[in-house]
Amino acid sequence: MTDLLANLALGFGTALSLQNLWLCFVGCMVGTLIGVLPGVGPIATIAMLLPITFGLPPTGALIMLAGIYYGAQYGGSTTAILVNIPGEATSVVTVLDGHQMAKQGRAGVALGVAAIGSFIAGCVATLFIAAIGRPLSSIAQLFGPAEYFSLMVMGLIFAVVLARGSVLKAICMILLGLLLATVGTDLVTGQERLTLGLQDLSDGVDFASMAMGIFGFAEIIKNLENPETRDVVHGVIGRLLPSKKDMQDSAWPIARGTVIGAILGILPGNGAVLGPFASYTVEKKLAKDSSRFGRGAIEGVAGPESANNAGAQTAFIPLLTLGIPPNAVMALMVGAMTIHGIVPGPQVMTKNPELFWGMVASMWVGNLMLLIINLPLVGMWVKLLKVPYRMMFPAISIFCCIGIYSINNSTSDVLFTAFFAVVGYALLKFGFEPAPMLLGFVLGKLMEEKLRQAMILSRGSFMTFVERPLSAALLVVSAIMLVIAILPAMRQKRDQVFTE
Amino acid sequence: MTDQQGDGESRALFRQDFGAGLFLIAVGLFALWEGWKLPLGTLRSMGAGMLPFSLAVMLCLGGVGLIITSVLNKGEELEAWSIRGLLFIVGGVVVFAYTIQTLGLIFAGPLSMVIGSMASDEFDWKEAVIFSVILTAACALLFKTALGLPIPVNVFW
Amino acid sequence: MKKLFSAALVMAAAFVAPAMAQTYPAKPVTMIVPFAAGGPTDIVARFVSEHMSRTLGQQIVIENVAGAGGTTGITRAAGAPADGYTIMMGHMGTHGAAPALYPGLKYDPTALIPVGIAASTPIIIVGSMKFQPKTLQEFVTFAKANPDKLNQAHAGIGSVSHSTCVMLNGQLGIKPTAVPYTGTGPALNDMISGQVDFMCDQIVNLAEQIRGGTIRAYAIASPERSPALPDVPTTKEAGLPDYQVIAWNAIFAPVGTAPEITAKLNDALRKALADEGTRTRLLNLGAVLPTASEQTQAFLGDFVKAEVARWNKALAAAK
Repeated sequence: MTDLLANLALGFGTALSLQNLWLCFVGCMVGTLIGVLPGVGPIATIAMLLPITFGLPPTGALIMLAGIYYGAQYGGSTTAILVNIPGEATSVVTVLDGHQMAKQGRAGVALGVAAIGSFIAGCVATLFIAAIGRPLSSIAQLFGPAEYFSLMVMGLIFAVVLARGSVLKAICMILLGLLLATVGTDLVTGQERLTLGLQDLSDGVDFASMAMGIFGFAEIIKNLENPETRDVVHGVIGRLLPSKKDMQDSAWPIARGTVIGAILGILPGNGAVLGPFASYTVEKKLAKDSSRFGRGAIEGVAGPESANNAGAQTAFIPLLTLGIPPNAVMALMVGAMTIHGIVPGPQVMTKNPELFWGMVASMWVGNLMLLIINLPLVGMWVKLLKVPYRMMFPAISIFCCIGIYSINNSTSDVLFTAFFAVVGYALLKFGFEPAPMLLGFVLGKLMEEKLRQAMILSRGSFMTFVERPLSAALLVVSAIMLVIAILPAMRQKRDQVFTE
Repeated sequence: MTDQQGDGESRALFRQDFGAGLFLIAVGLFALWEGWKLPLGTLRSMGAGMLPFSLAVMLCLGGVGLIITSVLNKGEELEAWSIRGLLFIVGGVVVFAYTIQTLGLIFAGPLSMVIGSMASDEFDWKEAVIFSVILTAACALLFKTALGLPIPVNVFW
Repeated sequence: MKKLFSAALVMAAAFVAPAMAQTYPAKPVTMIVPFAAGGPTDIVARFVSEHMSRTLGQQIVIENVAGAGGTTGITRAAGAPADGYTIMMGHMGTHGAAPALYPGLKYDPTALIPVGIAASTPIIIVGSMKFQPKTLQEFVTFAKANPDKLNQAHAGIGSVSHSTCVMLNGQLGIKPTAVPYTGTGPALNDMISGQVDFMCDQIVNLAEQIRGGTIRAYAIASPERSPALPDVPTTKEAGLPDYQVIAWNAIFAPVGTAPEITAKLNDALRKALADEGTRTRLLNLGAVLPTASEQTQAFLGDFVKAEVARWNKALAAAK
């Protein structure tokens, strides 16, 4: 305990130096900005800023880059809530209820609760890292391919629960997402699959172009056809910040979301994407009246947003304690550290204590900064919603185009977005919900990878999934959840919701 | 349920779930056709085609299931599609894709935004052109100057 | 219609194409790095390009175009105008192993104009701490005795860790079960926890784990020990002298780039490699820098030809 305090003192001593405070602020600002801009993600930005950090001391540089990463998570929810565009897999869930809230004139409340929830989650997750980061990192070692596959199966069950309407349609959407995830080069043999002979598809379908087409553009086309519901906010804009009751409703979802997100964030291979989905599922199952979900339930924003941000913080654990990056942004952080002469490894905590603890402390500082940056911005965002739709939609469209183009400087990514706009519109017309499909897509890649790794390691025996205790336990939980999801009684309730 | 009584039988094609089922079957068949040459392998040692194949088959089955439910339960009718919205919104994006590298953002931006704006029935030439030019300038400042992204803004001079 | 439209635009653009600059470089130069930012090749590119920019008096902008083992980025760079404003950082995979791995490759590595070798990172053979063999000799014995039990990780078809291990397996005459991962990170994670037994990869990705004692190094595939890991024996010392593999990175320009331009670039690269700051940074990675005679354009040209032939042989034998 005294160790922890001494370490934290060292950390805050580093993080609170004038230069590091400034860098943290710059990182958070840039992060918020790129998070808000659809398409432009932390990967492109951090890559762009790497050369600028050459002249900075390593700790300061990493504090800034980390700020960009979690700042982007904050900013991403703004776009999701305001214009129905999930910038990243983790904000797909925020779209569901957040944008509905915005349409009901509660955009300010949704943004506020997202910011407050994220702040609380960020603070708690940072404490997690400080206090038990080291032991927690061993969780990553428990997860071999078999365990991971079972976890993904559980994730797919979330997708069924996520849906509002018919279970059959939700399952079809998951299957479609899984099918889209198989597009690209086969991991094991290197063969090209379903790429239509296009080289641009050899690494698969890009998440951002798909999400933007299916959510963002399809929504624009749909909005344009009904003039009455066209403007995002029709009627009065309610309060700008959450009321006491809103906060009471969100308190437990925030707490649960934080814990769920923090734990899943530690897993290697980007387990953090599961966090918001898991949190949404839990909230929907615990709610007295689950039919409110998908229609602007505040718990559906508070929980997943907290999970999202908690996961973004704890994703640093495998990197900072083991030197293993769990996702693409963290891999880039490894590069950034390497450029500064600190190659992350199992010894980084002992070899560079002021870097480790400085970063941990800066995350706390950064979360506070983000709250201070974001809360006043809420008023501005909400005012933006009053722009007439005939001017708003071309603006959204051009931001998306530039954003998508800038990911890989590729024309074909923009064309894929156009293609998915048509697909997304068709799905809407056929009464499908896109969220389960996106979850299927995100999990599909990991799932196939882990399934085939596990089967290779077990030399083709399916028993590996039940022989390994952790994997078996996860499968049992999935089975129970599936039964609950498709029990006839539940189904009836669903149909009622659907036909209301 | 919103369908009108009486005409349910004759208009099966115009029901949402029926169309949805056909859509899924079409996607599934397309995937099967595209991936037919991929080796399936066996369950024990999966080939590259195993997952796409089984998913495509399941998708077709799901589609058949939806068609059956639609015939049995009727369900909601298919809404009309907005061709205008599709054409101009998607057209604007496609034009952006084809012009960004050859014309640069200064032309691609306004061009794609004006085309996109035509999707709205409140479209007004003057307003759309002025607004798109201002917004393009703002985008150039934001993406190129502030964020430093390598976007071709001006390719001519 | 679409085609017609874009054709019309291309024609329109051709009329206003800028006159070729007399003094190269007159504007920023784009260097395409065919891998994600933050990876070993990207880091080498950033280190050398930073100093090269100073010599050239124009910024070298790094553009990461990842995909298909690096061939996506090189294909795009190879198709760019040969005016010296688009160059590429090629490496062992894209300019050595790729022709053997990708039958439909849309560029010829030996035809691209060589600018010069930047830096190379040696390959290390590593094993899990939970894996029985402790030395390379024990590893070879174990591998030959238990061909069914052996699990080898790699970071995907076409990656450095894949092709270098294929070569190793070919030389040893062993056939381990290859377990593919989507990157070095996840592969390392499963090796630390003992799910997989061994892999081969660049020193940059492994050095800290070896120093931290989470994985075991068998041998380094370079002629001399690395100052970054002085305790790790070379393959020659460990009894496998033929296994000499290095993940080299080198700058190339599209076919048709003027010799004056590539000479200018080569000169800037040499100056970067002579700079103390740049050298230190590269050496800290565990990289090996080219000697003066290896820094010429001609050397790189011959080297690429030799590499393509060598990988063709090694990878064809494995098929």
